[in-house]
Amino acid sequence: MNLSILLSILCAIAWGVQSIFLKKAMRDIPLSAVILITLIINFIALVFLIGVGVGNGFSVFINISRPIYFYFMVAGFLNYLLGRGFYYSSFRFTSVTQSTSISSTYPIISVVFAITVLGEKLIFHQFIGIGLTLSGAYLLMMKGKR
Amino acid sequence: MSRLRGQMEAALSSVCFGIAPIFAKKGLMSGLHPLYGATIANTTALIIMIFFALFSGRVIRWEPIKKYGLFFAILAGICNSVALVSFYWAMSIGKIALVVPITCTYPLFTMLAAYLSMRESEVMDIFTVAGTLLIVIGVVLTI
Repeated sequence: MNLSILLSILCAIAWGVQSIFLKKAMRDIPLSAVILITLIINFIALVFLIGVGVGNGFSVFINISRPIYFYFMVAGFLNYLLGRGFYYSSFRFTSVTQSTSISSTYPIISVVFAITVLGEKLIFHQFIGIGLTLSGAYLLMMKGKR
Repeated sequence: MSRLRGQMEAALSSVCFGIAPIFAKKGLMSGLHPLYGATIANTTALIIMIFFALFSGRVIRWEPIKKYGLFFAILAGICNSVALVSFYWAMSIGKIALVVPITCTYPLFTMLAAYLSMRESEVMDIFTVAGTLLIVIGVVLTI
């Protein structure tokens, strides 16, 4: 097994387990404080990575154009703030497994936008994938109605 | 009703997580290293949250925070950062077609960890297991 697969598995485990810690944290800490703490730790990790030489150093930030900043700022607002806000908040009302599974259907949204906005076309196995994902989401939603 | 609210919030988070990469992709089309994009995105969110903390007293109340909760919030942040670092590292040395589908299996690890550590509060029935499996397989096929 090569290093990239090991790292990918490590990433999946870390992403998977963080939800458990988040739910335990939110028994004692307000939602906004949890978001702030995770953002601060992420910021430290990202700055550390650039500092140790991944990429081309901090000077790159000076040469990034305004439109590119804008795109990433919007992405950050949607992903790190709104997305995380809804995701973490959902832990207060439903099980962590359900929340994580439902929120992990986001590639479907990306695909829908890719088709409608970017004009991309789907291939056969992607249709099956969307069908399976929607079926899974429906099962989890139905559980909520019981 | 509250469970449905949780599911709706999870679905809304999925919409946000789904739209964000459209903008990130537009940014990355400039040839910028994804790490810088992630740093700009994270810093934007962090600055907004700090403004909230400073100027809206009712948003964050630090007094009732217990060490137990703080400990788990820091653990979650570390896990998130480990995931971030390992994701970028894997992407830089491996094939995207392999790395992305593997990382999308994370709900399975959440389910396993919830089963092992939160049996008292997490209901693990056939709907949860089947739904999670279908979503993971579906997402891997869609990517």
